[in-house]
Amino acid sequence: MGKITGFMELARVDESYAPPVERKKHYKEFVLTLKDAEAKQQGARCMDCGIPFCHNGCPVNNIIPDWNDLVYKGNFQEALEVLHSTNNFPEFTGRICPAPCESACTLGINNLPVGIKSIEHFIIDKGWENGWVTPQIPAHKTGKKIAVVGSGPAGLATAQQLARAGHSVTVFEKNSRIGGLLRYGIPDFKMEKWLIDRRIEQMQAEGVTFKTGVMVATLPAGSTVGNDSQESITPAELSAQFDAVVLAGGAEQPRDLPVPGRELAGVHFAMQFLPTQNKVNAGDQVAGQIMATGKHVVVIGGGDTGSDCVGTSNRHGAAGVAQFELLPQPPETENKPLVWPYWPIKLRTSSSHEEGCDRDWSITTKRFEGSNGKVEKLIGARVTWNNGKMEEVPNSEFEMKADLVLLAMGFVSPVQSILDAFGVDKDARQNAKATTDNYHTNVAKVFAAGDMRRGQSLVVWAIREGRQCARAVDEFLMGNSNLPR
Amino acid sequence: MEKIRNIALFTNEQFKAKELCICYPRAWGAEGVEAALASLSASAVDAITQGFNILIITDRKLDAGHVPIPALLATAAVHEHLVKAGLRTSAGLVVETGSAREVHHFALLAGYGAEAIHPYLALETLAQLSKSVPQIKAEETEYRFIKAICKGLNKVMSKMGISTYQSYCGAQIFEAVGLQSEFVDKYFTGTPTGVEGIGIFEVAEEAVRLHQAAFGADPVLANSLDVGGEYAYRIRGEEHMWTPDSIAKLQHATRANSAGTYKEYAHLINEQTRALKTFRGLFEFNTAGCTPVPIEEVESAKDIVKRFATGAMSLGSISTEAHATLAVAMNRIGGKSNTGEGGEDHLRYRDEMRGKTIGEGESLASRLGGKRVVANFPLQKGDSLRSKIKQVASGRFGVTGEYLASADQIQIKMAQGAKPGEGGQLPGGKVSEYIGQLRYSVPGVGLISPPPHHDIYSIEDLAQLIHDLKNANAQADISVKLVSEVGVGTVAAGVAKAKADHVTISGHDGGTGASPVSSIKHAGTPWELGLAETQQTLVLNKLRGRITVQVDGQMKTGRDVVIGALLGADEFGFATAPLVVEGCIMMRKCHLNTCPVGVATQDPVLREKFSGKPEHVVNYFFFVAEEVREYMAKFGFRTFNELIGRADLLDTKKGIAHWKAKGLDFSRVFYQPNMPAEVSRYRVESQEHGLEAALDHELIDAAQSVLKDVHSAKTAKVEAKITNRNRSVGAMLSHALVKVADPNRGKEERIHVALSGIAGQSFGAFLARGITFSLTGSANDYTGKGLSGGRIIVKPDPACPAVAEENIIVGNTVLYGATEGQAFFRGVAGERFAVRNSGATAVVEGNGDHGCEYMTGGTVVVLGHTGRNFAAGMSGGKAFVYDPGKRFKDHCNMSMVSLAPLQSEAEQNAAAEKRVLHAGQNDEAHLKSLIEAHLAHTGSSVAKRILDNWASERANFVVVFPLEYQRALSEQWTALHNTQAVSA
Repeated sequence: MGKITGFMELARVDESYAPPVERKKHYKEFVLTLKDAEAKQQGARCMDCGIPFCHNGCPVNNIIPDWNDLVYKGNFQEALEVLHSTNNFPEFTGRICPAPCESACTLGINNLPVGIKSIEHFIIDKGWENGWVTPQIPAHKTGKKIAVVGSGPAGLATAQQLARAGHSVTVFEKNSRIGGLLRYGIPDFKMEKWLIDRRIEQMQAEGVTFKTGVMVATLPAGSTVGNDSQESITPAELSAQFDAVVLAGGAEQPRDLPVPGRELAGVHFAMQFLPTQNKVNAGDQVAGQIMATGKHVVVIGGGDTGSDCVGTSNRHGAAGVAQFELLPQPPETENKPLVWPYWPIKLRTSSSHEEGCDRDWSITTKRFEGSNGKVEKLIGARVTWNNGKMEEVPNSEFEMKADLVLLAMGFVSPVQSILDAFGVDKDARQNAKATTDNYHTNVAKVFAAGDMRRGQSLVVWAIREGRQCARAVDEFLMGNSNLPR
Repeated sequence: MEKIRNIALFTNEQFKAKELCICYPRAWGAEGVEAALASLSASAVDAITQGFNILIITDRKLDAGHVPIPALLATAAVHEHLVKAGLRTSAGLVVETGSAREVHHFALLAGYGAEAIHPYLALETLAQLSKSVPQIKAEETEYRFIKAICKGLNKVMSKMGISTYQSYCGAQIFEAVGLQSEFVDKYFTGTPTGVEGIGIFEVAEEAVRLHQAAFGADPVLANSLDVGGEYAYRIRGEEHMWTPDSIAKLQHATRANSAGTYKEYAHLINEQTRALKTFRGLFEFNTAGCTPVPIEEVESAKDIVKRFATGAMSLGSISTEAHATLAVAMNRIGGKSNTGEGGEDHLRYRDEMRGKTIGEGESLASRLGGKRVVANFPLQKGDSLRSKIKQVASGRFGVTGEYLASADQIQIKMAQGAKPGEGGQLPGGKVSEYIGQLRYSVPGVGLISPPPHHDIYSIEDLAQLIHDLKNANAQADISVKLVSEVGVGTVAAGVAKAKADHVTISGHDGGTGASPVSSIKHAGTPWELGLAETQQTLVLNKLRGRITVQVDGQMKTGRDVVIGALLGADEFGFATAPLVVEGCIMMRKCHLNTCPVGVATQDPVLREKFSGKPEHVVNYFFFVAEEVREYMAKFGFRTFNELIGRADLLDTKKGIAHWKAKGLDFSRVFYQPNMPAEVSRYRVESQEHGLEAALDHELIDAAQSVLKDVHSAKTAKVEAKITNRNRSVGAMLSHALVKVADPNRGKEERIHVALSGIAGQSFGAFLARGITFSLTGSANDYTGKGLSGGRIIVKPDPACPAVAEENIIVGNTVLYGATEGQAFFRGVAGERFAVRNSGATAVVEGNGDHGCEYMTGGTVVVLGHTGRNFAAGMSGGKAFVYDPGKRFKDHCNMSMVSLAPLQSEAEQNAAAEKRVLHAGQNDEAHLKSLIEAHLAHTGSSVAKRILDNWASERANFVVVFPLEYQRALSEQWTALHNTQAVSA
């Protein structure tokens, strides 16, 4: 399998990016898919390990060595089949997955890992380009009806799997477009949204019905969670109409920063900021879009969402962008002997950072100040960390000019009102309580998957949960299941 | 197949074929299998009574509605039924099945009666696959597949000691693991099965499930096969003990010395309730009657680790760095590391033998030389690079007297758990110049150890080898490594009676760098079975107290150790786990020399990436020992010895849910022989080796002047009488000499021993450089075994009226495994002369069959007739055969050598292909000097006649020159030539 000495002879080829000055001008993707020869070369570097750690590191357990070899040999269509056997949506993960597989790559112990993500990206783009991705319409219908609440990656994966098993699946989405965080949370420059539309078409052909603008249960008053719904449906109605209900509504409740001045205008959650730009890109009329144009933007939170806020602010033409993180600056490289093959905590510089941003770590926000109800500055202070305990550095307070503050500090939990409406038990972190063995909540025929069950996580974890949950639902309805976990 | 089906047309109805379909309706389910088998057997009898004499057992007709009975079950059932009916010899069985694809499948079908096998699905698959590989034709793929299967079967048959398919067919040399005895008795009559297990309906259920997977709606299987995961880990496939998480946790734990992470690792390995992977995973401890003791009162970890050894992984299979790391670690904790069968660099032990230990500031490179080490690591004061266990395997690579003298334990590898019946296999790519040097072989030439030890064909022979080795190093324990299989207890008892001090029972799942897949997967049994049988047999025969029992085979945790102890082991061998600690990540690429972490490779670029440290290995063994202590405290045992043999503390785990685990019955494993309390259950005494009777004591006394003052020019001359009761003469004397003098330095002859009489077996075994044995009389088998630089001369008593060159003067298997030295035999030698010679020079006046077999170096001159099969497997060295009758060609095995007339110096210089000269001399001068030496030492009239007529006689010599060796000498010439060109 593969080229036996490929890893010793060939260099890693990374996908190339359009230059920052260019890409900052638009909201299009700027990552260039590998060319055939590059992809083959990348595949040749795979060592076909006796124990492929990547295969375990990948949450959907992509059979990476197999498709690496197929790509190396130029057998792209078969590679796509193997890839699709574990992953419903490689075009999403091939673009926005942080690639825990590559952190687990054996070659990464003492070399640059195989560019697994770029190969995945290559395979699926090749597949669509050649028309190899077609609807897999089930031969028999079971007559069972399933409601999937939420159309993010978990809901979509569940729906697609269940439809392929012959069930009639209806997906309910409170917003006007399908995709959840994929649609609204991820900026277009990281993943263009026609990719979702293309999948939706495939799923519709496979028999999935999509109902947008329908709220299942109700949001609490004052919720900042995005909601375009015109109509609503109650849990009781759903239960009456469907044989099973899958809750895949994500973990949408953002973590707040309750400091003085939080109420000032100009302090927003990232999820109030990012979705509107995607909507505008899609041609929607958005009243009162939050713009960073000409503003001093401070992003609070050093994760991927924060980074997306940086990229979007720069595209708006912000006067300056700063990003603060409470935790200390991670090392440039991890202590590999003690971390590999697990996900390393290390300094990650995203493409958005390269486009212009001042980053700082070990910063706590003390308060926001402003006038006329509008934020003007952030008062912060430095902290030190000792054995997980944070302490403020005396006399380290500072001021930072800020007329737009974006809170990207993660998500606390699913929106509780939905779980409460169904009467679903919750775990200690307020997620829906269900095991990965059967994904069944305490409520009869109500299942939960994705962030709603496991808390905020990666798209790839959502796909895993969706697939596994689909199998559990299929087993629940039919007594057994051919769906892969 | 068409021809066989219609064989009647081709043979004038002499042969008539009848098809017996083994498919039955799917609707009958698993329950239908018994009826289907009964009707199959009945129709076989009917067919024979109707005059058919070829029965074609076929599953061709399987379809969505019909399930095939597994072909093996069907074949065995028909075979057994026909045997019982007395009709088996009236018909041939042809099996046409889609299920046969691997060597093991063919071996099983053959073993249970298939005279011919048609693997139609494999062949059709190849034909289809070949369409995507335009450069290979379909017929070529078929040819290659059949050739590969046949070679695999050859290997399987050879390791079982069976030469022909006819003998193998129906021989049933298998052991069942996990099959119900009632089922086995009926369909696989006579096959041993130790722990019960599944029966016919479970087997059929599996067939039904496979059928379901094939014809069901599983989308993953729509266009592709099941991922399998047998040979490389796949999450949807076969369960493995080593998983990404167990490896990561073990590495992190030992690198950071984190007991907490070790516990996570141990939990992953020990917890097998969901994924059943080993027998011990199905056991639980029966602590009901135990009174726990505080852990502080339990024997210390420091003492427990002394019972641990690392496995026999040769330098060659693993890198210098990986090998030395294990040695340093084991020496730090007082355990033992094992050389494996590749010899050992004297730089790792010679100084230590002389009392010069490693001091401050030294490193691996400072000891072995910078060129030899690419991933250096520092050594601590008092460290030792010496492997305390020196292995002696069938290849005898690097087994010299000095090597043996440096051992604490000498291990005779009868077999290895991962590949019982086979020797080590080192692919050519891993035989670097250094490895070749240590093994006395040719770089780049793969080294495949022969299946048997050529000096062991009986338990008496084994006793002799044990005696030889004990003479070569009286301080070392002699260990015999056996493989778990049914009957190993009896063999172990024989080993104990043959005076071994130590026996290893090796389990089937032991690791191996490179070995045929059929061996890795299908040979040997779990050590739980073999160890229990060994303990029971040894205790019953009151032999247990005389011998240490070690167990190995995927030992990973303290729980494994405790179960091994309860089943009867004193000591424990670990191999894969410490390698993982050193950085192994189970690439399973050991055979390709491409290990990316520098463990199982000789490539310096990759070895540089080796990151293992002795400290990590030390940490690992202490974690294991601490885990053992926790169990001991729970049992209430303060000393480790109290654990040994207490199988009553084991029980079958309750509540195992797996559908195939139901029928298992471990009562035979947990059985304890009812012997009085005074019969020991663990090692308490020493073997009586009878070394005090050795003639060598006399010789050593007489040579004291030399031994006490080796750096002087003193010599000693000794005369003695010898009889055939004097066995292994010379080994002890050589030991005394190499302990004090470097074997490769000093005068040619320092101790001259003139003997007269008939020498016993192993005369001159491991004889060291500087010693000459000149025997007037004759010698027995194994003369010059492992010759290590000494000189052996055997000539007949002048009073003997027999014609010397027409009579045998030395026995069989002379110079086996010789590495250096000279031998002159005035007369004819027996079979297997100079087998596995890797450096000695010998002159003999004729020899029996298989001369120079597997030779990798040295020079042999035969001044008379040779037997058949000369030079079989010969990859190095040269032989000169005097062949005036021009008959030699017919006696030589030509598969690896070429034959040519003797060339003069001028001819050799003028040869088109340039090569470095063998032994640094041109052939004619070399040969002539050897015959002259023969004449000088033995007064041979044959030598004299040839030399007197050299001008004409020289044309009667044939030069036997191995092809691999020719290639290597050419490469050396090119390398030398290029260097000179560059420097000029």
